[in-house]
Amino acid sequence: MKVTFKIWRQDSPDSKGELKTYETDGLTEDMSFLEALDHLNEKLVLKNEKVVAFEYDCREGICGQCGVFINGRAHGPHDHMTTCQLHMRSFKDGDTITVEPWQAGAFPIVKDLVVDRTAFDRIVEQGAYITAKTGTAPEANSIPVPKEVSDAAMDMAACIGCGACVATCKNASAALFTSAKINHLNKLPQGKAEQHTRLLDMTKQMEVEGFGSCTFTAACEVECPAEISISSIAEMNARYVKAKIFG
Amino acid sequence: MKLDSKVPEGRLEDKWRNYQFKSHLINPANKKKLNVIVVGSGLSGAGAAATLAELGYDVQCFCYQDSARRAHSVAAQGGINAAKNYQHDGDSVWRMFYDTLKGGDFRSREANTYRLAELSAPLIDHFTQQGVPFAREYGGVLVNRSFGGVQVQRTFYARGQTGQQLVVAAYSQLYKMIKAKKVEMLPRHEVLDIVIIDGKAKGVIARELSTGKIKRFVADAIVLATGGYSRVFRLSTLAIGCNGSAIWKAHKRGAYFAAPSFTQIHPTALPQTSESQSKLTLMSESLRNDGRIWVPKKKGDDRPAKDIPEDERDYYLERKYPSFGNLAPRDISSRAAKERIDAGHGVGQLKNAVYLDFKHAIERFGRETIEDRYGNLFTMYRKITGIDAYKEPMKISPAAHFSMGGLWVDYELMTTIPGLYAIGECNYSDHGANRLGANSLLQTSIDGYFILPNTINNYLEGELKAKRPEIDHQEFSKVEAEVKDQIQSLLDINGSRTVDDFHRELGKVMWQECAMSRNKKGLEKAITQIKSIKEDFWKDVKVTGSSDEMNTELEKALRLADFIELAILMCTDALQRDESCGAHFREEYQSEEGEAVRNDEDYAYVSAWEYNAGEFKLHKEELKFEFVKPTVRSYK
Amino acid sequence: MSIFFRKFIIAATGLFLCIFLIVHLSANSLLLLPEASARGLYNAYSTTLRENPLITAVSYLLYLSIIFHVIYAAIITIKNRKSKGTGYRVNHKQENSTWASQNMGFLGVFILLFIVVHLVNFWARVKLGIGESVGLDVDGNTDVYEITYTLFHNIYYVLFYILLMIPLGFHLHHGLKSAFKTLGFYHKKGLRVLAKISLVYAFVMSIGFGVIPLIVYFK
Repeated sequence: MKVTFKIWRQDSPDSKGELKTYETDGLTEDMSFLEALDHLNEKLVLKNEKVVAFEYDCREGICGQCGVFINGRAHGPHDHMTTCQLHMRSFKDGDTITVEPWQAGAFPIVKDLVVDRTAFDRIVEQGAYITAKTGTAPEANSIPVPKEVSDAAMDMAACIGCGACVATCKNASAALFTSAKINHLNKLPQGKAEQHTRLLDMTKQMEVEGFGSCTFTAACEVECPAEISISSIAEMNARYVKAKIFG
Repeated sequence: MKLDSKVPEGRLEDKWRNYQFKSHLINPANKKKLNVIVVGSGLSGAGAAATLAELGYDVQCFCYQDSARRAHSVAAQGGINAAKNYQHDGDSVWRMFYDTLKGGDFRSREANTYRLAELSAPLIDHFTQQGVPFAREYGGVLVNRSFGGVQVQRTFYARGQTGQQLVVAAYSQLYKMIKAKKVEMLPRHEVLDIVIIDGKAKGVIARELSTGKIKRFVADAIVLATGGYSRVFRLSTLAIGCNGSAIWKAHKRGAYFAAPSFTQIHPTALPQTSESQSKLTLMSESLRNDGRIWVPKKKGDDRPAKDIPEDERDYYLERKYPSFGNLAPRDISSRAAKERIDAGHGVGQLKNAVYLDFKHAIERFGRETIEDRYGNLFTMYRKITGIDAYKEPMKISPAAHFSMGGLWVDYELMTTIPGLYAIGECNYSDHGANRLGANSLLQTSIDGYFILPNTINNYLEGELKAKRPEIDHQEFSKVEAEVKDQIQSLLDINGSRTVDDFHRELGKVMWQECAMSRNKKGLEKAITQIKSIKEDFWKDVKVTGSSDEMNTELEKALRLADFIELAILMCTDALQRDESCGAHFREEYQSEEGEAVRNDEDYAYVSAWEYNAGEFKLHKEELKFEFVKPTVRSYK
Repeated sequence: MSIFFRKFIIAATGLFLCIFLIVHLSANSLLLLPEASARGLYNAYSTTLRENPLITAVSYLLYLSIIFHVIYAAIITIKNRKSKGTGYRVNHKQENSTWASQNMGFLGVFILLFIVVHLVNFWARVKLGIGESVGLDVDGNTDVYEITYTLFHNIYYVLFYILLMIPLGFHLHHGLKSAFKTLGFYHKKGLRVLAKISLVYAFVMSIGFGVIPLIVYFK
C-alpha cells in the first residue's frame, strides 16, 4: 500500500511551519495510522532527515496522548475514535493524507504535530478534585451512591483529556472537557461540598487560558473518543447559574 | 553487602503496626525543609507525590509524557482487589494474603504480601472519597466481581476503565497539591541518571524533552515510580514510552536488581500482524469466561475457521486441564498457546495466534447476552482488526505484560542505595513469580499512598541534620557529563540501522528465549546474541536530529540502550534459576505432564543482582515461610 | 464579563426574538384573507399595537434585544476567532456538524441586512414618517396594508423577502435549540424533543414568512 502524506512540519514554537509532502511505500492495511508514521520516520532516518515529531503513548485509546487532525477530522475519519485506533485499512491505496497538529490558541505548537495541552492541567488544578487528604476517608459503603448517579458520573469521568473537543471546535472551546470534569465530581455526594467553587474556579481558568465559548455545533461530541455528550455542557451552564445564585 | 529485608518483629498481623510504632517521625515544621523527588506520575508516583506533599514535604514530580494523567496505569482494565468481604463469601485479609502468596508461587516475602492485603480495604475507602465512580448496586453499595486465581469476589471496578479512573483520581489529588504550591510538576522531563553522593541518593539528571536541555535536580530522597520494563520485548501490552532507564541507571549506580526474569505473559492479547507493529493490545481476560480456545488439529491448516469441522478442532486447554479448562491461570494458558503455535498449529497471517471462539456461547445464551457481557470488547476488537467477532472467532496471542521483577527493596521500599526508593511495578515486592489479576493496581497504589509516606520519615529524619549538597557539587558535574557523553556518542555513530530495527531484533531474541518457556541452551545463546546486538547497536545505529531540540528518535535510542543491557541481566537471572516457578518456566524442570516443578530446597530465595562494570553478581535473600507452608500449584 | 454571561444574553435575547416572530407571523397571516377584510383587520391590528403603551414598552425591549443580540454575537464571534487562531488547511467540518451551526454569524449578517431593509420599508415610514407619506384607510387607521400590498407587487422585493427567509430558517433551527442548552436545559430526552421542535419552528417561520409575499404578489 502506498500513500502520500502531507504533514505539518514546524521546527519550534516560534518558527513558521508548512505542509510537506512524503510519498510513503510499503504500508499494509493492518498497520495502525501511527505505525505508518513510525514507518515513515524510519525511512526518514535512513535518508538522514529529521523524524516527524508526533505524540503517542499507550496506543490503545485510553491515555489520551495521541491526537492529530487527519484529512480534516480530529483523530481521523471515524467518529468516537482515537488516532491510535485508526488503521490504514480506512484509507485507499494511493490516497493523500493531510496531517496537521491540533489548532487552538490555548494549545501552542511545540514541534511538528506536537502541541502543548497543559492548559487542561491548569483547569484541573483549579478544582477537579475533592479536597480530602490521604488517610481521612470514611468506610466506602457509608455513603451510598445510587447506581444511576454513579453511572452518570462515570459517563463524565470517562474523558481521556486528548483535546479533540478543542481541536475540532471552531471556537476552540474547552467546554466539553471542563464540563465533564465538573459534572463528574459535582454529581457525586463526595464532591458536593465544593461544587460551586469548583465550577466557578474551573470555568474562570478556562477563560483565562483563552479557550473560546461554546456555540453548540456539537462537533466535539462526534469526535470525542469517550462519547461524552454536549448535554454535559448544558448541565454545566445550569450549574453555573446555580453556583452564581447559591455559591 | 548483606541484604537486610528489615521485616519487623511480631506476628504477621502486628508487623506493620509494630513498624509504624517504632519508626522515626518528623515534626511538620521540619518536613517542609526536606525535598523529595518522585520519578513517574502513575498511580504510585502521583499517589506518593500528593501524599508526601500533604504531609508537608517539598516535592518535585517528573513524567516523560505531556501530562501526569497519561501514565500507563490508565491502561489497567479489570479492577482492583480488596479484602472488604462485602460479598460475605468468606474473604479476609488472611485469605487474600494466601491467594497472593500462592499465586506468586511462594517467591515473595510473607510480611510484604500480608501488608498488601491488610491495606487493601482502606484503599477502596480512599479512592471512593476521591470521587472514583466504582460500580454500584441499585441500592448504592459497591459491587464486586471475581477474577482469575481466586474463589471469592473481591474485585472492585469502574466499567472497563478502572486503571484510568484511579489515575484520574491520583492525578487530580496531585494537582490539588500543585495548586497549593507543595508539588512542582515537571512533565516532558525524562530522568536519565541518579546522582549518589557519599553513598546516598541525592539528585537526578533529567532531560527536558521539549527542548533537549539537560538539568540537575537535588533532593534529600529520591523515589522511583517508573513502572514496568516489558518493552524490552518490544511487542508488549505496555505504552510505547514505558522504559527501564531510570531503574537501570540506579542499578548501575549500586541498586540491586531483583528477579529481573520474572515477567508475566498475558494470554489474551491481539496477535502481531506485521513486522512494523509497535504494540499488542490487551483483550480483557474476562473473555475466557465464555470463549473457547482452539487451534486446527491439522498443522498449517489454511482454511478459514468456519470451514474447519468440529472434529478437526483441538480445544487444547479443555483437553489438558479438564477442571479449569479455558480459565486456567495466565502463565499456564500462555504457555499452552505457545506450545501449540510452535508445533505448527498457529492461525492467522503470521501463524502466531489461536482462536477464541464465541460460537457456542452465542448459540447457548444468545447474541444479546454476549453483547451485554462483552459488547465494548467486541467493538474494540472490530476497531483494531476490522473483524466482527460475533460472526467469526477472535484471534488471540500471548503478549509480554507485567514485570514482577524490579529493583530490590526492603520492607520500607528502599533500595540498596540509602535514600533511593522504588515503588509500584518498578520494584520487586509483593507478587513473587507471578501476579494475580487485579493485584497490580492495588500494589502500586498502596506503595504510593500508604507505605512510602510512612517509611520515608525513618530515613529523612537522619537527613535533617545533614547538609543538602549544592547543585554544583562535583558529583553532579560528573554524572551530567556522562549523560551528555552518552547522548553525543549516540548521535555521533551515524550508522546504517534505525533504533526500531535494533529493538525488533532484541525483541525477537527475548521473546524466543526468555519469555514463556526457557532453557539453558537457549538462554546462553540469547546472552551471546544480545551482547552482539549491543555491540552492533553502538557501532551502527543511526539517530538523526540534534540533542538540543525535541528529538523522539534520540529518546527511543537512549531507552533501547538501557533495555539491551537489562535484557542480558534478565537472561542471566533466568539461567541461574534452575527450577520452574510461576511465570518462570524452565523446560528442564517440568513434570511428565509438562507442569512446572518448583525447587524450594535450593531456590526459595529472591535473586538480587549487583552491577559491577558490566558483570552481575548474585546475592540471595532467603525467603523464610514462618506462617504458611508452600504447596504445589495445580490446575489439572 | 464571563463567557457565560455573554452567551446568556445572546440566548435570552434570541429566545425573546423567537417569541416575537410567532406574534409577527400570526399578524402577517391576516394578509392571506380576502382583500376587503384583510385591509381593515391588518390596519386595525397595527394601529392597536402602536397605541398600546404596554406594546410600546415591549417594542423597546425588542429593539434592545436586537441590538444586544447583534453586539454580543459580534463580540463572541471575534473572540472565538481569536481563540481558534489559524484554521486547518483541510477541515471536513460538514462531517461532524451542521453547516448552520458552523456559520451562525454569517447567517446573522444576512438577517441583519434583512431587518434593516424591512425597517426602512415599514417602520421608518409608519413610525418615523421618513420617505413617502402613508395614507389612511376608510376606518381612519394608517394604511399599512397598502404599503405591504405595493411592496409585494414589486418582484425584486418579493424575491428579496423570500430568499432572505432561507438564512432565517437555518439560523432559527440552530439558534432555538442552542439557546435552551446555553440557558442550562440538559434533560437528555427533553433535548431530543427540543431538536424536533426547533426544526418544526424553523420550517414554519421561514416558510410562513416566505410564502406570504408570494401569495400577496399573485393576489
